Amino acid sequence: MKRQQQKLITGGILLIFSLALCFLSGREFRSMLKKDNIYPSSGLTEVQKLSHYFPSLKGSPGDTDVYIFSGEEASGNLLILGGCHPNEPAGFIAAVLAAENIRVQKGKVLIIPQANLSGFTHNDPFEGNPQRFPISTPGGDRWFRYGSRLTNPVHQWPDPALYRNPAGQKLAGTEYRNLNRNFPGRKNGGLTEKIAFGIMELIRLEKIDIAIDLHEAAPEYPVINAIVFHENSAELAAIALMELQMEGIEIRLEESPKNLRGLSHREWGDLGGIEAFLLETANASHGRFKGKPSIALILEGKDNNYVKAGRLGRLFVPFDENGIPLEERAARHIAAVKALIASHNELHSESLILFSGLPDISALKKEGIGAFLKPPK
Amino acid sequence: MPEYLVFFLMVAVFAVMAMGCKLPIGISLVISAVAGALLGSQGVPVRHLIEGSFGYFDTILIIVTAMIFMRVLQVSGILDTITSLLLRTFYKRKFSLLMTVMVIIMFPGMITGSSTVAVLSTGTLIAPVLIKLGLPKVKTAALIAMGAILGMIAPPVNILVMIMGGGVDMPYVGLTIPLLIIVIPLAIIISLWLGYKDIRIIDQARMQEILPESLEKKVGLRLYLPLLIVFVLMLTQSLSLPLIPDIGIPAIFLVGSLAGTFSGRRFNFFTATQEALQAAMPILCILAGVGMFIQIMTLTGGRGWIVLSFLSLPQALLYGGIATSMPLFGAVSAYGSASILGVPFILALINKNAIITSSALSAIAGLGDLMPPTALAGIFAAQVVGEKNYFKVLRYCLVPAFFELVMGIGVLLLSPLIEKLL
Repeated sequence: MKRQQQKLITGGILLIFSLALCFLSGREFRSMLKKDNIYPSSGLTEVQKLSHYFPSLKGSPGDTDVYIFSGEEASGNLLILGGCHPNEPAGFIAAVLAAENIRVQKGKVLIIPQANLSGFTHNDPFEGNPQRFPISTPGGDRWFRYGSRLTNPVHQWPDPALYRNPAGQKLAGTEYRNLNRNFPGRKNGGLTEKIAFGIMELIRLEKIDIAIDLHEAAPEYPVINAIVFHENSAELAAIALMELQMEGIEIRLEESPKNLRGLSHREWGDLGGIEAFLLETANASHGRFKGKPSIALILEGKDNNYVKAGRLGRLFVPFDENGIPLEERAARHIAAVKALIASHNELHSESLILFSGLPDISALKKEGIGAFLKPPK
Repeated sequence: MPEYLVFFLMVAVFAVMAMGCKLPIGISLVISAVAGALLGSQGVPVRHLIEGSFGYFDTILIIVTAMIFMRVLQVSGILDTITSLLLRTFYKRKFSLLMTVMVIIMFPGMITGSSTVAVLSTGTLIAPVLIKLGLPKVKTAALIAMGAILGMIAPPVNILVMIMGGGVDMPYVGLTIPLLIIVIPLAIIISLWLGYKDIRIIDQARMQEILPESLEKKVGLRLYLPLLIVFVLMLTQSLSLPLIPDIGIPAIFLVGSLAGTFSGRRFNFFTATQEALQAAMPILCILAGVGMFIQIMTLTGGRGWIVLSFLSLPQALLYGGIATSMPLFGAVSAYGSASILGVPFILALINKNAIITSSALSAIAGLGDLMPPTALAGIFAAQVVGEKNYFKVLRYCLVPAFFELVMGIGVLLLSPLIEKLL
């Protein structure tokens, strides 16, 4: 009887301890549901939800904002996608920079800064990443979430053991939650497939001519500091490359592999019939060699492990003690977007896209991202 | 404090807690994770500890439901009937018994890419047959564990290669032949190595003596319904058939378990579930603890230090690094090893054919499922045969694991030649 009582007391104490842990950690996990503030430029025409193009997404955790900037004259249409992988902050921040600064004179620019909105609501286990990072603006710090490469399992679960994506590629089960393996999406599929389908619908309904998907990769990944292009846009990519090189930006061209299916640049080009690109910069904070994960690592991109790995020849990008800061990574994206659109305009006078307001690479590097973001409200 | 020192102190705290204070492995891992966080100036990061423990959530669900399924097979009499059937078929055919057994053990791994699923499904069916025919239970467990690992590596579904391929943008195509080149010789050699000496050829009278009760005549084919359901659902999942919903492995095991309630002997499902959970609890605790340990190891920079240390080896020693680090890192899980080390190793060997390289690396990473404290294939194989000390099983896995390691490294070294032949 006494033993029974002891067991009950121990069980009770453990239960209370577990509940306390749930409460404490739950508060932190739930804080990731708080949305990031994005303050679009005065050139904004309208804000739509992705569900506007695919109503099945309405009210779902994937129903992200689409910022639409229309010029005075209809012409070509551009889609900029950030946050396809929420643990690649330069892609997200470059899209936010574009949304907060762009002014469109001709054609239309649609910006989705958080393509996988659900991925922003959690972090990857075993990665030890911070939940958010600040960017200093003259009016105070703006905080942004650092999410996961995958959709939140709370929103889409369980993963199959084996995932055959809508394009027919066989992948590991977790890729079921990777937006950039889910194109062209499925109308009645999982949340991530629906988001991909919604983006394809947007491309179709808005008659997009050119789309650019902003990403980052670990410095040990071979496709880095690169423009990945669909083969239908090889000439455009080559002209953009020359333009960037003239600006002193070293960047590589990589043709989208034909047998690697489900990725944005492949399916947008094949099925959407548009000029499709994906941009990669080097992000030490989501590499396998990273040292202590921290806010500084995200912002400054300095990491001794990567310096050492660079010396050992294990990286595909130069990496020294100065690191590769977020300013530089976001600036590369902005510069590449501008170069691609300039090339598009050169090749397609019938669908010109003219805009202004995006910061220069030198200004971004010198003044920092915060100088081009609106202060927190 | 430097990251490597924090890591070594975490390991030291774990060793003191587990061996000195004799605390359960799971609890020792939790304490070492908290100690690591404190030593790494992270305080007690509750969010990170819980986040890490959830890293194995899906694995934990598979284990819980598979253990329930296993228990249902036992108490409903299905297991005895299958044992009886296999004994009657193979009691005087040693070679064909071993080959059939190996294929049966491997099959669930081949279609799900998980060694745990293989051990806890067909491994459970095979174990009593082998033991009754004279194979010592620790060797039986070793055979089941190795067969399950080979099943995980064999085509058509090799999740380890898919994980590595995802990291280097390599599509999952063209892998069948390289994987078969690795798996077929190993399956033959390992089953003969572990079983041929001890399995006895017996006469019919002896076979009748050891034959467990079969319910086949009494119940009929309905008895096999749970196995049939699990088999069909796993197969349809691996084929991704359009009209059949993918309900996930845990749900498949649950459906199979529920079917077991009216397939054979009557039993109390609730009690069977309780017993299964009780048996699974220590390994579930270990998985949660390992998750916390890994998260804190990453948070304090230890993971990056380990990965880079192995990648820093000169090219001549790189193969040695692969042969040691990938199985050792399997203490996290074979999948973790494939993701964290497999991808950098493929890139380090970028001058070789990535398909052959990833196939060979998957064979080496698969051995991680023998590595304690998680040792998902090994510990469950021990549990299936009723052996409490996993290290006794591990002893018999060492030579077969060495064969697999040699095969993996051999394929890596000979990859240019294999590429030409293919």
